[in-house]
Amino acid sequence: MSDNDPDDNDLDVLAGEYVLGVLSLDERHAVSARRMVEPELDAAILRWENRLDPLLDYIGAVPPPPDLWPRIMRELAESPVAHDLVANLRERARRWKITALAAGALAASLALGLGLSEMGRLATPQNFVAVLQKDAASPAFVVSVDLSTRELTIRPLDAVAPAGKSYELWIINEKLGPPKSLGVVEKADFTSNDKLRAYPPEVVKSSLYAITVEQAGGSPDGKPSGAPVFAGKLIRAVP
Amino acid sequence: MTTDFNKDLALYLKESAQGDREAFAALYRAASAKLFGVILRILEDRSLATDILQEVFVKIWRNASGYDPAKAAPMTWMAAIARNRALDEARKRKPATLDLDSEDLHIAAPETDPLAGRQRQEDLVSLLACLDGLDSERRRIVVLAYCHGLSRDELARRFAHPVATIKTWLRRSLLQLRECLGS
Repeated sequence: MSDNDPDDNDLDVLAGEYVLGVLSLDERHAVSARRMVEPELDAAILRWENRLDPLLDYIGAVPPPPDLWPRIMRELAESPVAHDLVANLRERARRWKITALAAGALAASLALGLGLSEMGRLATPQNFVAVLQKDAASPAFVVSVDLSTRELTIRPLDAVAPAGKSYELWIINEKLGPPKSLGVVEKADFTSNDKLRAYPPEVVKSSLYAITVEQAGGSPDGKPSGAPVFAGKLIRAVP
Repeated sequence: MTTDFNKDLALYLKESAQGDREAFAALYRAASAKLFGVILRILEDRSLATDILQEVFVKIWRNASGYDPAKAAPMTWMAAIARNRALDEARKRKPATLDLDSEDLHIAAPETDPLAGRQRQEDLVSLLACLDGLDSERRRIVVLAYCHGLSRDELARRFAHPVATIKTWLRRSLLQLRECLGS
């Protein structure tokens, strides 16, 4: 890393601000989302964590309440997570060859961020990710596509549709003519569907994915009623 | 941390990743008080900090297989999970009415950690030396941000400077620290 390279510096300073803890919640979400798909950023975060960690020696240990351990055990008993899913995730991380990206942080952010519905499909290697955003600092949705099944999952990060409206996802590609709907984004953490099966993999990979604000339940005539409010392109999760 | 202590934690994490509840219990006994201290310092609310620590240990259990000893010491990895969760929570809330005036930053007196090993002490000494290179107000800002989780807005109010100034100072401080630490 060179001090003469402004991009490197920007990324590294952003990582430092994230670790220091001075970013706003939106900015923190943006960095958390970006580190999932930007190995350099993730590596920079880990470097800052290692640099600043000794300061935690100034913070005294405080025994937690004695009933916390039984609470944790209860939670694990009620919602067990199969370890093979996590192992799967790690295997996938290994296959991604993201050597610069700490497997720990990757597994952590993916496992924490994507949740079980994603983790169930992690054995497949054809994964693509798009961060849909208004601008670089405000990612609003993460779209992931498994090209082998063309199953699509969209996860809102911070975006909440205006009252009485719905967010609708579109695939935009000149080969397809007008934008084609990929469905309304449900309020749930994840929305999955297989609407991309209608399109060839090359189109799926090269298209723009965009979100518009529609009336509740989605556009009535199958056309976007306004300009996209968030958009992004897929990038291969395998560098 | 001593090598042995870290070796123990790394082993507990590895065994936890394989589903070993005994190892996870040992990990909890070894690390929970430290992590609770870290979370409590940021959130300053015992009940909330307890809830967050619960989430953090559930995350540690579920992500133990993602821990890579080549990237960070076990405690560093766990502390990062705890800090990130606590900071997210702190940013969701209204700025706390922190009364830090009564509290010195203890910059000259770190809590003596019987487990602190030589390497850890050397790392701390290097970091302190580099922090010492910062102007005293900027040093306090960096430490308050990192240890207490103060936001830029809170720092701006506390130090009576515009937020933009705080932001610039923080960025310059980070660059200066990075250069000083040479890593």
